[in-house]
Amino acid sequence: MHPIVSIGTSHHVAPIEFREKLAFSEAQLTEAVQHLREAYQVQEAVILSTCNRVEVYAVANSMRTNDAATKMLVDFLSHYHRINFESLKKWTYLHHNLEAIRHLFRVTASLDSMVVGESQVLGQVKEAYDASRQAGGARTILNRLFTKAFSVGKRIRSETTIATGAVSISYAAVELAKKIFNTLEGKTVAIVGAGEMSELTAKHLVSNGVSNVIVANRTYERAVKIAEKFNGTPLPYNSDLNFLIDADIVISSTNAPDYLIKRRPLANIMRRRRHRYMFLIDIAVPRDIEPDINKIDHAFLYNIDDLEAVVASNLKDRQQEATHAEQIVTQEAKRFYDQLQIFQVNPTIKALHQQFREIADTQLQACCNKASFTDQQAAAVNAMTQAIIKKLLHDPMKNLRYAVNDGDADHAQYLQALQELFALDVKDEEPEA
Amino acid sequence: MINFLFLLTLLIYLAASIFQTLSLALGNRSEAMAIRLTIERIALWGTAIGFAFLTLFIPLWWLQQGHFPMTHWTDSIAFFAWAVTLIYLIIVRLTHLRTLGSFVMPVAFIAILISYSFATHTAALPEPLRNYWLLAHTALIFLAYAAFIAAFGFGLMYLMTERKIRKKTDTLLDNLLPSLGISDELGYRCTILGVILLTMGVIVGSLWTQYIQDVPWRWLDAKVIATLMTWFIYVVQIGFRQFWGWHGRRAAYTAILGFVAVLCTYVGVDLFLDSMHTYR
Repeated sequence: MHPIVSIGTSHHVAPIEFREKLAFSEAQLTEAVQHLREAYQVQEAVILSTCNRVEVYAVANSMRTNDAATKMLVDFLSHYHRINFESLKKWTYLHHNLEAIRHLFRVTASLDSMVVGESQVLGQVKEAYDASRQAGGARTILNRLFTKAFSVGKRIRSETTIATGAVSISYAAVELAKKIFNTLEGKTVAIVGAGEMSELTAKHLVSNGVSNVIVANRTYERAVKIAEKFNGTPLPYNSDLNFLIDADIVISSTNAPDYLIKRRPLANIMRRRRHRYMFLIDIAVPRDIEPDINKIDHAFLYNIDDLEAVVASNLKDRQQEATHAEQIVTQEAKRFYDQLQIFQVNPTIKALHQQFREIADTQLQACCNKASFTDQQAAAVNAMTQAIIKKLLHDPMKNLRYAVNDGDADHAQYLQALQELFALDVKDEEPEA
Repeated sequence: MINFLFLLTLLIYLAASIFQTLSLALGNRSEAMAIRLTIERIALWGTAIGFAFLTLFIPLWWLQQGHFPMTHWTDSIAFFAWAVTLIYLIIVRLTHLRTLGSFVMPVAFIAILISYSFATHTAALPEPLRNYWLLAHTALIFLAYAAFIAAFGFGLMYLMTERKIRKKTDTLLDNLLPSLGISDELGYRCTILGVILLTMGVIVGSLWTQYIQDVPWRWLDAKVIATLMTWFIYVVQIGFRQFWGWHGRRAAYTAILGFVAVLCTYVGVDLFLDSMHTYR
């Protein structure tokens, strides 16, 4: 039995500092997949590397145990990125077989995403799979697995409404912005202060069409540094808020103890920008933006609690949908795993049948050469031999298939025993085109 | 027969208004999605069928009366409903914003209700008025009114959405109302369309009286003054928007003020003031 193993890290378990260490650039991907296959004798491998997650899916040789296969992946990651075992152990998760399949289905269906139901991840997994396949990484089993993952992803998007709801704060910010602006295309977002949450929200806005990013910070160097990430414009912070003139969306998250953005200067700015809409998001605690600003015409202020309330009221609706989606994933993963096992048992059964038949044919030939049978007699003996083979193999094969269908762990050992006792030369089936 | 069909049209409009408003009330909640889509489909089909009937009545009345059916005010108000529906259907065709129907379809329904309740469709038109100038003049002005009604609908939608955003209500993301930007922009476009049509209508009307009929221009005619005031409200709105960035809330309020002005011009003048435009 070929163990399927996945090792990975994501925003759920690890901070950005670790994730970026583990990341594979597009250029590295091909080489890494080949290296994994050649140096670590992994049969198949797909590497998925996005801003939120890095995951390696691998199929090991059937002689290896799950643990041995896992160790290969851990070794590979640790050597490739020069990371010590302790941090790998701390910041990554491991899945085997059914769990690995389920995990991939959840990822592709965007159930594991930071923004549940977002649509980007399906494309990212597709790209990763294509790249790994071109590098020779994905073959029989992973081809089947990923093809299935895409169809499960699509099924969940069409059968549930998880893809339509706002279930995270940054997503809520985007949805709110869409309720205000005609379109986010050509709009400008200003990040005041720094912080993962504000950068994430900005990133989400940018991926939804916002085209300019302004970064304002009390320390200009800091602003420059963050602006680089977004290809944005760094601006120095000043209390008359001049840097907000062009900002349509403002995300503020500083450590300042007092209000940084006050009503009077902002009202001034609003006049100077001819009252174009401004959407202000205050995710700082204590707050950065004077609450009264929500009373200025065409300026809309949401703080972290407001956003969370929006998310919560949406979550109630979506909870059911998410549960439904998880059920689909579990059920599809189980079905796929069963099929995969039967699919993996087939070569052994075929090889066994073939071996028996070859022996019978040779013996039959020898027998026919010695005794002179009439055609009729030869046919009768031949039929009898075939019947014996069938009868002999009937019960073992039936029991083997039962073991597979019952999810009985023994069947792997049965298979191995069969292969070893009969010295079978088992070839993997090539996938149908 | 015509009367029966007209009653049927009235009922279709009532159903379309109710269904469209119901869909707005149901909102974008996932559990009501299937019902809402059905309701919206019924509402839009109703609107289309009702509009087709109204379109049929105009030539029928024309044949019946022997002239363009715009002379009696019950005819004109039916034509007004026709124009409102036409503009609404064009907007739906272009923008898929059916929500507008929740605001303009009731207006069209009430117009037909009034027309049905007082219908005579038998007014005689004096000989000098029987020509295509009158047709052009009135059609342009009614289409302008319809565009203003649409702008009014967008203004109301704008204020509702703004209130939801400001008050941070639960239904903020679940409703079908378009974004502030869209309501504002489309309301503005409707206003511009209305002003262009109204200007053309007034020009056609004044040229007609002055040069064709050789009647001296009467500035003090109540309808003329009211129309010019309405026109002025919208032109000022466009100007302020262009030069001082008056949009959004102020534009929405002006659209409502303009709606009131249109009502005064159209209905008020006829009821309370004397004018050469008065319908008999």
